[in-house]
Amino acid sequence: MATDKELSDFLKSVEKRAFKRTAYTVRNDDAALDIVQDSMIRLAEKYADRPPAELPLVFQRILSNATMDWFRRQKVRNALFVNLSDFEGADDDGGDFDLLELLDTSAGQTSTENAADSVGRMQVLRLIDAQVAQLPARQREAFLLRYWEELDVAETASVMGCSEGSVKTHCSRAVHALAKALRTKGVTL
Amino acid sequence: MNKPRPSVLALSRADAAQTRFALLVTAALSEHQSLATSPDVDARLRFARDQALARARESRQGMATAPEVVGRAGGGAVLGGGPEATPWWLRLGALLPLAVLLAGLMLIDRHYARSQIEAAVEMDAAILADDLPPEAYRDQGFVEFLKTARP
Repeated sequence: MATDKELSDFLKSVEKRAFKRTAYTVRNDDAALDIVQDSMIRLAEKYADRPPAELPLVFQRILSNATMDWFRRQKVRNALFVNLSDFEGADDDGGDFDLLELLDTSAGQTSTENAADSVGRMQVLRLIDAQVAQLPARQREAFLLRYWEELDVAETASVMGCSEGSVKTHCSRAVHALAKALRTKGVTL
Repeated sequence: MNKPRPSVLALSRADAAQTRFALLVTAALSEHQSLATSPDVDARLRFARDQALARARESRQGMATAPEVVGRAGGGAVLGGGPEATPWWLRLGALLPLAVLLAGLMLIDRHYARSQIEAAVEMDAAILADDLPPEAYRDQGFVEFLKTARP
């Protein structure tokens, strides 16, 4: 059973990412905060007796369900608008360029950053944030769960309610779409 | 014409590049979040966390006290003692309402049967005491006479 401190530490470690992920999806900070708060309370009420190791996966499931509940409560038009974006760019697999090329050229430039570049760096970060926000919903969810929340493929599939193959496809497409968009903007990581 | 298949090495290299790129992007997201999150959002998240922790404490307390309450009720605490303090006659007393109910049902049944018998006796007595012999009612013409003679 997770102690108060373990639960508090866990919530503190995930709350900002959870907020950001939800804000990407619902595009409304207040709604995202409400959803995160509901998810935290649901976790604490029903799963506080679980061992700390189980909390991340359970919390991600609760958060995903709470986000879906939020959409169900919204008007059908809004829900359709978000879901239809899943189908946009389905054939855009980013096969027309080499991802390694982008990484190889960007790796050396990270170390050259200094204090004078902080404003530019902030702009780059904002641009990356915007590009992630523009990803189709399912691709973004898979990408963030897999690489930001650091769930493995099976856990991500479990949270998203899809197959592991779909998770890999979503992640691959998201990475290629991001790489292509950032390269078009001249952004290096 | 067959398209050349990518080798395992090339695939794993592509996977590694994909993972590395994704981790760089998520690191950038984390950095942006740490720099750009507003104090209002921080405060709301802290409030949400406190609320959740309070609920967790309540939930744990509920789980801790529930078995104790159930145990006491099951042991007969309502009757003023533990399970060993409940005398046999008190346990037998629990059957008393059931016995009263059964006795009541039997009395009602007996009273109904008796009233049926008394009604039959009265009818028989009236027929036998009448001037008209009972055999007259078996005569079809007399029955027709009774039917037509009534208003």
